[in-house]
This record gives sequence, structure tokens and C-alpha cells, in this order.
Amino acid sequence: MVLRAAIHGQISVGTSQTETTMQSTLKLATMQNAKQIVKNEDPPFIEVARKHKTTNATRGKGPDKQQAANTLVTCNNQNMSNPEAETGDSNLCETIKGAADIEAILRVFLILYGEWQDTHMEVRYTDVDYLVFSDAAALMASGKAPYERSTYRYSPLIAALLLPNSFLHHLWGKFLFSASDLLVGLFIHTILKLRGVPEKLCTSSMMVWLFNPFTFTIGTRGNCEPIVCAVILWIILCLMNDQLVQAAFWYGLVVHLRIYPIIYALPIILVLRPLHFQPSKKPALVDWSSRKLKSLHGSSKLRFTDLQYIQVFLTSIFNWRRLVFGLVSGSTFFILTGLCFYFYGWDFLDEALLYHLTRTDPRHNFSIYFYHIYLHYEQEFSSLEKLISFLPQFVVQLALIFRFAYDLPFCFFVQTLTFVAFNKVITAQYFVWFFCLLPLILPWSNMKLKWKGISCIFLWMGGQTHWLMWGYLLEFQGRNVFIQLWIASLLFLAVNTYVLINIIHDHAYCPVFKELNVEKSNKTRKHD
Amino acid sequence: MSFQDLESGRGLGSRRDYINGKQDPTQAVASGIFQINTAVSTFQRLVNTLGTPKDTPELREKLYAMEVQHFQVQLYLAIGFGLIFLVMNSNAMPATDEEHKFCGEKYVTNTYFKKHDSLIDSQFEEFIANKIPLGLCKVLLDERYFMPRLLAVRRNLIGEGSHRQLSSSIRIKMQGESISKLPAQSCQIIIVEKLPSGVFADPFELQHLLHRGVFTDVTVLGDTNLELPSFRSNRSVVEIHLDMGYNMSSGGKDELEVNLRLPLHARYAPLGHGFSKVEFVQPDLFMRCGFEGKAFNGSCLFMPTNDDVDYKASPIVWEVPCGIKKHAGVVSAVTFLSAIVSALLIVSTSIYHSHNTIFQ
Repeated sequence: MVLRAAIHGQISVGTSQTETTMQSTLKLATMQNAKQIVKNEDPPFIEVARKHKTTNATRGKGPDKQQAANTLVTCNNQNMSNPEAETGDSNLCETIKGAADIEAILRVFLILYGEWQDTHMEVRYTDVDYLVFSDAAALMASGKAPYERSTYRYSPLIAALLLPNSFLHHLWGKFLFSASDLLVGLFIHTILKLRGVPEKLCTSSMMVWLFNPFTFTIGTRGNCEPIVCAVILWIILCLMNDQLVQAAFWYGLVVHLRIYPIIYALPIILVLRPLHFQPSKKPALVDWSSRKLKSLHGSSKLRFTDLQYIQVFLTSIFNWRRLVFGLVSGSTFFILTGLCFYFYGWDFLDEALLYHLTRTDPRHNFSIYFYHIYLHYEQEFSSLEKLISFLPQFVVQLALIFRFAYDLPFCFFVQTLTFVAFNKVITAQYFVWFFCLLPLILPWSNMKLKWKGISCIFLWMGGQTHWLMWGYLLEFQGRNVFIQLWIASLLFLAVNTYVLINIIHDHAYCPVFKELNVEKSNKTRKHD
Repeated sequence: MSFQDLESGRGLGSRRDYINGKQDPTQAVASGIFQINTAVSTFQRLVNTLGTPKDTPELREKLYAMEVQHFQVQLYLAIGFGLIFLVMNSNAMPATDEEHKFCGEKYVTNTYFKKHDSLIDSQFEEFIANKIPLGLCKVLLDERYFMPRLLAVRRNLIGEGSHRQLSSSIRIKMQGESISKLPAQSCQIIIVEKLPSGVFADPFELQHLLHRGVFTDVTVLGDTNLELPSFRSNRSVVEIHLDMGYNMSSGGKDELEVNLRLPLHARYAPLGHGFSKVEFVQPDLFMRCGFEGKAFNGSCLFMPTNDDVDYKASPIVWEVPCGIKKHAGVVSAVTFLSAIVSALLIVSTSIYHSHNTIFQ
């Protein structure tokens, strides 16, 4: 709570109203951190807040000047001009390291606790999926196909990652997943820093991921989702650093592991415009401090009303960057898939790929479609029905892509949230897919914690809990509550829509890349 | 082996006795004890010559070598004892694989599933009546040496919801005219639970229970798919083996009671009017006893005679909630409508989102 208040203390900067909120958050922090005050030292939080005030004073005049906004002003530059801030910076580094250490210790503790619970209690801490992975890895180690383990529906690469489970220790997998969890935190911090977000806000956003109870339980219970999240964040990082081939390779890999990142293909292709990238120059990233400007974003809108624009867009759709990305990622995907097919045959294709594409599970889950599927399971689904259920998903994805593609992390986040909400099957582990992207958009969000932020959080959790209650009554008490459960899933969709609409409404659109001025003016006209 | 051999250091060349001790552990231990005794007396003799005119550097070297040998002998002796212990333990466990080869398959129902694809009650009854190999055991039965008799079977469904436990309590009386004349036996009860369609047992869960020692052996045969609803899946059979130990030959109790809890899960039931009833059929019970004696050595499969138990008195019924068919139209319509409405809301929000929102 304190951290989120801190974020919004940060966000509401520059007005007199905020000074009072800053004071109130400082007071709150003092009360909460009272235990930390040893001798005359202030806790790191207040030290950092004080430092922010000073940097704020120096930056106060920034937004008034257009030139300041057009130069690449990063966190580092600012700190170098302000010597006082450097000491604050080192304290902050310690804070980050301290937080990371706490997190690492917490995860190790949870893994060991999970071991204890597995052996001593009836209800296991470890997820069933982890046992499936371990069994599949053991099968692979003895030379057989991992698909002999029923319900193993992933790429053989994941079983390969867990091979040390057989000969090293059976907790290897959990440690690997928790480590990638921490890696995600590191990537979040790096991405935000690259985009010019002040240090404190970076850290607070990183805490949103690291201290989220959902996050650390999912890694320590043995789910492989943190690895996928880490790879996606790495892809964003590579794109921002202009490492195209690497980004393409990892993208091909992650689509092979989990099919869902295919929805990110179109935004990435759109972002690889010539105007964002110039030969022999690093792409310029839009700074966080310029998010208040109106005019900067004017030209980066995707306008589809202008016919000439459409014509230009279509003709310039193929440039070498897009081709390279497409070719490298496509060939990575097909090579990996081909290798797995060569080794494991049709089993691999059916279980790892086709199952996810054609999955219709009538068993109850968060999705609104589950009851409809159960009631019609005895009859085959007509193609019209399949089309109708796919259409809302398709239309929403397209609309979001064409509206927000240039603000890449935000686009990924809203796409993932809608993809999960409209999917035919929703399980709790899918939520991690957008939780890892949430910290990337928080610095640009207008949403105040009071009361909109809190209401969104509680509504979302409330919708989930309500559904879980009916699910418990159905599964563990044997009551026929199918209708109520289905209504609960409709409510969950409504809550998801509400939260999404609010997030979109309160977001300050900020493209990742700046449009660079080309030397030859002819080219500017051709490429818009 | 002679004393000279020992003194010259060749005595322990018969190390092979120890290493292959599994074949002859008692002999290995005996020879080890003999060697220790001889070594001790030789050692004493050599020590007594220290300081006397017979004392030479070679003598001291020999003494040193003997110390080393003595240590080696102690080590091998310890290994020998350990091997004896292991062998005795393994003799105490029923040698399942070797003994069951006498009767054929380890699992009784395996033979049924080799010939038939799915479980059909009439075929299974025919299989049990005719095909179960009794072989030499018929001799025992005919001569009335061994007649297990089923006294009572109490079954109950414990729990609520989709995950319940089938608890069975079985009492068997071992009787026979010359039961005391029979050699030592170890018996196993084999319970074959034919699960109705609509209910399944999780093989992985049962393996977990097996590791914790709840059963001696367990297997699930038939359709073991954990995810499909019941009209897309076939029936399965659970075969459980429970050990009863050595308590028959030496005047122990003739009545045996076995308690068993089998965890089961309900599949998604076919559509109906609220609840769908799943009825359990009676289990098939067998006893497999291993006999060890000079006259008769092997294991036999018996079917306990069943005069007293009446299963139809209290049938076991599990009510599984099912989807209601008449909801189908409304549910589909509302589902698609809400999906479309949500999609339109999101699309309109994103279209009308101003890219020039001022950051406040």
C-alpha cells in the first residue's frame, strides 16, 4: 500500500495539490517505517523522497521548453547535474538490492516450505503441472518421449530444461522458475530506466511485480510461466536496443514454447518502421518526462481515414527490418518445431500445438464459454459457432493493435488482458502473462490509487473470489450450481472489461520510439 | 586355507567368498570368524617374539602387514553380516515376481484386457468364471485343504462433491480341514473394482499412495483419461493388492479383516435434469497365497466362497451434478451476446482514446 501510494505521490507531481499528497505520503511512510529509523538515519524511502523533491525542482522548468523535450534526457544525465542526487542514488541501489535479496530469500523459503507441505500434508503445495514436467523430463532422460506422460502438453524443450530434475535434485525446476521470476523484475527495471523513468518510480513499479503474492506463489509452485514472461520482456528490451536478430530469435522460440505470443507479431511488425530506425544510429527512445506534451504525439498516430496515408502505408509495409524479423523468427519457429516433430512425431504436434489451438474443455473454468461448451459437447460444433466465438476476440485485438501499436508495452498489456478475458479456457496461471507487463505501464497511468485504482483492484479480485466460491460449491460440495457459476464467469468478464476500459481511458499514450528526422527531405515525404 | 597361507598373506585370497556373499553368506561369515581367530593367535605369537633374539625387521614388517590384514578381515566380516541381514530381509518379503510367474500374470485383470478392448460386465464375469488359472491349486481346493470364505463386505462412499473415497471393509475366514498341516503361507487379497462409467481413479494419485505404503500394489486398467466427460470415455478397472502377512500357519486367527479406501473422482456427467446417478457394482475378490514347503512350493489364486454376503441390500449410489439440457439455448445466446457487447465497449474506448491525453 505504501509503495503504491508512493507511485501516485510521484505521478501527481508539479501541482500544489501534489505537494500536500507528497507530505501525506511522507507522513504515512514515516509512521510505517518508524521501526527502520536507527539512530539518526532516515529510512531509505524518505531519503529517496527528499532526493526526488530536489530533482523535481531542477526539472520543474522542463515541460515549458520544447527543446528540452526533444533531446534525449535520461535519468543518468539528470543525476550527474545534481550531486546531491548521487548519494540518494546509491541509497536507492541499496534499496533495490535489499528488496531483491528479500525476494530471493522469500522464494527460497517458499520452495523449501513447499517441500515440507508436500510430504506432511494431504493437500500438496506443488502444482500438478510441476509433477507432469518432472515425469516428462524423467522419461526424456531415459530416452523415451515426454508425451508418454499423459497431460503433458508442452514443447519438449520445457522437459529438456527440467532434465537436471532427474540427476541433480528434484527442486531444480522450481529454482529455475523462481530465478526467472527475479529476472523479470530486473528486466522491468531496465526497460523503465531506458525509457527515462526516474529511479524511484522504476523501483516501485518493479516492486509491483516482485511483491505480488500471485507472482511468487506461481514460481515456487512449479509453473513454467515466469520463463515465458522473462523471454517476452527480453524481446522488448532487444527491440529497444536495436538488436533485431536476437529479438526475432527469442520471439520464434517463445511462440514455439507457448502459442499465445503470436498476438504480438503485428504490433512488433508495425513498430519496426523506417522512421523509428535509422541506419548506423541507435533508435531514440521517448523520455518519460515528455509525457505531458501534446504536440509530440501528433504525428505518430496511425490514421486510417486518409486515403493517401493508407496507400503510403501499404507500399512501405515491406522494409528490410520487418523482413529480417519475420524471416528469423519464422525460421526459428519452424526449425524448432521441425526438430521436435522429427524426434517425437505426431504426438508432439497433437499434444503441444493442436491441443492448444482446438482446445474445448467443458470442465468449469473462468471463461464464459465453459457452460456453452459443456451443454453442446455431445454435438459437434458447427463452423458458424466457432467463428462467432472467435470474432469478438479477433476484432478487439485488431482495434487495440492499430490504436496502440507504437506504445509497445501498453499494447502488449491490453492485448494480453483481452486475449485472456475472451479465451475459451481461462486458468489462473494465464494471469501472469499480463501481470508481468503491468509494471511497464504504471508510470504512464493517470489512474489515482484513491479510489479508482483500489476499486479496480478490489473489483477484479472480488470477481475472481465470487467465481471461486461457486466453483468450490460445485466441485467440493457437489451442488448443482452450474447456472450460478456461469453467471459468475459473465460477471468476471464484465469486471475485466471495466478494468480494461479504465486503464485505457487513464493511460497517457507514449510511443516507445521517437520519429527521427531524416537527412533527405524527399524520404520524409515518401515514408510519411 | 592353512595357517601358513595366512602368515604369508595369501589367506585372504578367498575374498571372493565375501563379495559373492549373497550366494553363501553364512559360509562367508564362518570363514571370516575362522580367519579372525587365526589372525589373533598368530598376532599374539608374533608379538611375543618382539624383543627376543628372534626379533628381526622382517618380523616387524610381518606384524604391520598382519595389522592391516586384521582390519581388512574385520571389514569383510561386517560386509558379510550386512549381506546376511539383507538376504534374510528379502526372504521375509513375498518374492512377488518369481512366485506369481507360477500363476501367470501379476495382475489378474491384465489377461482380460489383453483380449478385450473395454470393460463389459458380462464378458468380465465369463472371464472370471472360466479363465482364471487355478491349476494345481484346484488340488488344494478339492482336497479341502484351503477354503477361504467371505464373511462380510461393507462398502461406503465417503466425502462430498466430485472427489470422494470408496471405503471397503472385508472379512474373510480361512478355513479348511487340514489348514494346520499346510506349509507356511503368505496371502494377498486382490480386490478388483469395476468402476462405473462416470467415475475414474487417478493413476498418479494411486502411485503416490503406493509409495506411502497404503497398498501393496495397485493398477488401473481400461480408460484412464482424466479429462474427458463420461460419454466420451470408457470404463476402467482398479486392481488393488493388499498384503496380509504371515499369520496363518502358526495358529493365528482364522478371521482376517482388511480395510481399504480408494480415492475416486467424478467425470462430467451427461446432460440431464440436475443430478445423474452413478451406481457401483460389487467388486470381485481373490486371494493369492504363496506356499513354501517341501511338498508344495508356489502361489495360488483362490476365489473365496460367497454365501453370506448380499450386495444388493444396500447399493452404493453417487449423485453427480450435471448440466441441464433446457438451459442450452439461453446460455449460448447470452454468452455470445455478452462477448459481443464487451468487445464493442473495448473497441469504442480504444478508438475514442485521445492520444493527446494530458498527463495529470
